[in-house]
Amino acid sequence: MSSASTSRANIPLEDSIPEAGASLESVLCTEELRGRPARPPNYEKENRALVVLMSALADSPSTIFQTLAETILDITQCDSAGLSLLTRDGKTPDGCGKRFYWPAIAGMWNPHVGGGTPRNFGPCGDVLDQNRTLLFRHFERRYPYLMPVIPAAEECLLVPFYVAGKAVGTIWGIMHSDRRKFDAEDDRVMASLGKFASSAYQALIHIEDLTFQVSEREKAEADVRELARGLEAKIRRLVEANVVGIVMWNLEGAITGGNEAFLRMVQYDREDLASGRVRWTDLTPAEWRGHDQRAVADLQATGIFQPFEKEYFRKDGNRVPVLLGGALFEKGGNEGVAFVLDLSEQKRAEDALRRSERRWQTAFENSAIGMMMRDCSDRFIASNSVFQNMLGYTESELSQLSNEDVTYQGDRRTNLELIRELLEGRRQHFQIEKRYRRKDGTLLWARNNVALIPGIADAAPFLFAVVEDITQRKQEESARHYSEERHRVVVETASDAVISLDESSAILLANPATTRIFGYDPAELIGKPLTMLMPEFLRKLHEAGFKRYLATGQRHINWQGTELIGLRKNGQEFPVEVSFGELSKDGHRVFTGFIRDISERKQAEEMRKQAQKAIQTMQAELARVSRLTTMGELAASIAHEVNQPLTAVNNNSNACLRLLANQNLQPDVLRRALEEIVADGTRASAIIARIRALIKKAPAEKNSLDVNEVIGEVLAMMGHGFEENRILLQSELAEALPPVLGDRVQLQQVLLNLIMNGVEAMTAIIDRPRLLWVQSRIDESGDVLIAVRDSGTGLGLEADRVFTPFFTTKANGMGMGLSISRSLIEGHGGRLWAAPNSPHGAVFSFTLPIAAGTPS
Amino acid sequence: MTRAPVVFVVDDDPSVRSSLKFLLSSVGLQVESFESAETFLQRKAPDAPSCLVLDVRLRGLSGLDFQRELAAREIRIPIVFVTGHGDIPMSVRAMKAGAIEFLTKPYRDQDLLDAVRIALERDRTRREQEKDLTDLQQRFDSLTPREQEVISKVVSGMLNKQIAGELGTAENTVKVHRSRAMEKMNAQSLADLVRMIEKLKGPAEKAS
Repeated sequence: MSSASTSRANIPLEDSIPEAGASLESVLCTEELRGRPARPPNYEKENRALVVLMSALADSPSTIFQTLAETILDITQCDSAGLSLLTRDGKTPDGCGKRFYWPAIAGMWNPHVGGGTPRNFGPCGDVLDQNRTLLFRHFERRYPYLMPVIPAAEECLLVPFYVAGKAVGTIWGIMHSDRRKFDAEDDRVMASLGKFASSAYQALIHIEDLTFQVSEREKAEADVRELARGLEAKIRRLVEANVVGIVMWNLEGAITGGNEAFLRMVQYDREDLASGRVRWTDLTPAEWRGHDQRAVADLQATGIFQPFEKEYFRKDGNRVPVLLGGALFEKGGNEGVAFVLDLSEQKRAEDALRRSERRWQTAFENSAIGMMMRDCSDRFIASNSVFQNMLGYTESELSQLSNEDVTYQGDRRTNLELIRELLEGRRQHFQIEKRYRRKDGTLLWARNNVALIPGIADAAPFLFAVVEDITQRKQEESARHYSEERHRVVVETASDAVISLDESSAILLANPATTRIFGYDPAELIGKPLTMLMPEFLRKLHEAGFKRYLATGQRHINWQGTELIGLRKNGQEFPVEVSFGELSKDGHRVFTGFIRDISERKQAEEMRKQAQKAIQTMQAELARVSRLTTMGELAASIAHEVNQPLTAVNNNSNACLRLLANQNLQPDVLRRALEEIVADGTRASAIIARIRALIKKAPAEKNSLDVNEVIGEVLAMMGHGFEENRILLQSELAEALPPVLGDRVQLQQVLLNLIMNGVEAMTAIIDRPRLLWVQSRIDESGDVLIAVRDSGTGLGLEADRVFTPFFTTKANGMGMGLSISRSLIEGHGGRLWAAPNSPHGAVFSFTLPIAAGTPS
Repeated sequence: MTRAPVVFVVDDDPSVRSSLKFLLSSVGLQVESFESAETFLQRKAPDAPSCLVLDVRLRGLSGLDFQRELAAREIRIPIVFVTGHGDIPMSVRAMKAGAIEFLTKPYRDQDLLDAVRIALERDRTRREQEKDLTDLQQRFDSLTPREQEVISKVVSGMLNKQIAGELGTAENTVKVHRSRAMEKMNAQSLADLVRMIEKLKGPAEKAS
């Protein structure tokens, strides 16, 4: 239950019945009252006391209980007297209380004021239970909690009193000693005082109520006054603050008062106002009068008019836009007050905003780039014509579509992801390159910059996107990418080494061919200087040349192909052909080198040179031999060759003759000499025979020959001879000529002789083309026929005379060539003859029988 | 004392070599044969009159080039050219370069022998001259410096007295030097001496 609370006397008031204690009967001695001799009543005192009580009740009701307690003490001449009142809170009387409290005590127990006893276990409770006066003797024997209340009560007389038939408390007197005992008189007096106590109780309660009511009302009135004062102050504050215009008016149109703010607004002064010249009906322009009338109607109906916008005329005639709202002071009255807000600024701001909006609108519409807005559910809110044209949709069509609808399938996921991030606040904006599907189904590449515009007030957030058509750029990119790819493939698959260098001549990249050619992995080369691929002696040259190029732009080698030496990883040096290119990339100079391993080419060149040399040697040899056959050298050669043995024969013979003349006969010597003579003679014969053989019938070697091949060899030997003599050579060689049996060199000699003759025949010709024509075919008799035509001076009348030995038309000639040639051909079983060529020149033809055994 | 003359034959044809050797030896000449100019050059120069019978056509160094080479080496051996063939320019060149003769094979044996003889004679003469000169030089070198000095002044036409004055000695001393020098030089007369000294001075002096 409730916690114990202590009174000033430290008496605990317990709600629960304690366990110990004497019985009630043992502490009561009420019946003894009648038996005790009664004092003689002192009615005068009693009356006087009652009067005092009454006065006290009237004058000072709050102290009535104390007065009563003292009266009891005085009249009964006891030691302590007081009241017990039922209470709930221990301080105020309450008839429904569960406790008693002592609001007033006189006498020795005075210090215990405020204390009390429980209703259900105490003397006062007993009195109320039994509804009669009770006399206790040492009631602390029953109620141990009263033990501490000292001095102890020898006897206590308690009398109940009632309000509206209900007991509300007791009055009591206490003897602390047995000097006197309570008697019947005390009983009577107490009863009468008890009645007074009832009245006092009621009066007091009533007075308290009244007092409370009055004080309440007074308080309320004070509050209202306070409020009014405060309100007034505030209103005055507002008015004087001039943050808004305040104007007082009447319904007739007069303005009865206004603050500075108002006056400034309309540019009138106090005097104007005071004079009554300023009337709100006059201040209002004609077109706003309707509003005013409506406001007046509202005022009359409701006592207030809602804020509305209108304009006033200023004193200078200009207009000022205002917002005003107000009320009548009294409903149904004539006067009221209104606030007036100057809207000029606001109007200006509104105009500015409108202008700004218009600008944005114009920009939006006339932009060269697509712009659009969509709401957070991706629908198009707005778009400019550029965007609409990009996609091929009209604005209304777009408003039915979402961004996703028009986005190419493959790009949707990325796009949605980014939008989600945007909406979730993980980013402020994003950029995306994506494809749209136009209305006609084609695709368009676009670069979008999308931002989330946060919502303001009740405007929802939306997405704003700037859309750039990059289809062209994408195509170019893809083309360039493709081109780059092609180039990359070219470089990768090139059979030449392709190396990229930076400005310090360090290797940036090397293609696979580099590995094949140099033997290094690209990884071994990256970052290394180019010079590691060249032999030592070339490095300084390269470094110097490269440096000079960087500084001056001068090249020290031909960049379009220079032969240099390369150095392989295994140390081998080999010939290379190098080309360089330069390009600038991101502001840096990058050089590309193409390096071709030309070892094989060099070898081939070498072989060709050697072949050339061999041919030249052969040429020289053949020329020498041919000179032999044209007799220039042959004669000398014959002479020399034959002269040797002849000289020896002569020497030996003459020596022998001399010895014989000197009688110096040594048969051995002579014999030896003669033997030598014979030998030399034989040698001479052999030489002559050989020469004859060379010239005459039997060929030295007989092989199966392809005539066309021989012709080809002879023409090759002529080399630049035709060009040098400005002779046009034509050859008409039959295919699939059957082979002939013959001596290759001899046939070459004959052909060379005929061709040289033809060339020499044309040296003097200047007025017509110099044509030399070589033909090979099968003639009618099945032999192989070769003809050499020229457009030279011709044969004259003696066609066959040319074959006579020593016949020559050449200034330097010996005239042996053709006769020898004829002999050689006849030695092969063929014929050689000459005929005039038309219109100019001569034709020399010879035949050769085909090799036996060859099917004809 | 001159040795027996030697004929050197250079020809790349063996039968020509041997037959030539035979021919020349048939007239009592010493012959040495070589197949090429190079092999000849390896042989030391003999201390006897000699000449060279040379074919123009040789393997390796040709005859004419060989002639030039010998001149460059200052080997003054006379050359008789023989050739199996030849033309005028070649022969002219050879002769201008100092060949004794230029014969074409087959030649008359007598022509060859004559040419050889002339060549040997020339060589002999040259050698003699050289020898003389060498002797002369030796004789001169055997003079004392003073004697040499005196001689040179005598030869220039100075009187003994004059010479004595120049050298700062007595005339008698000069006379003694002079006579001793003349003895050593084996000059019979002043004219002799002059001739001798002229010879010693040589062609260089004469040219200047």
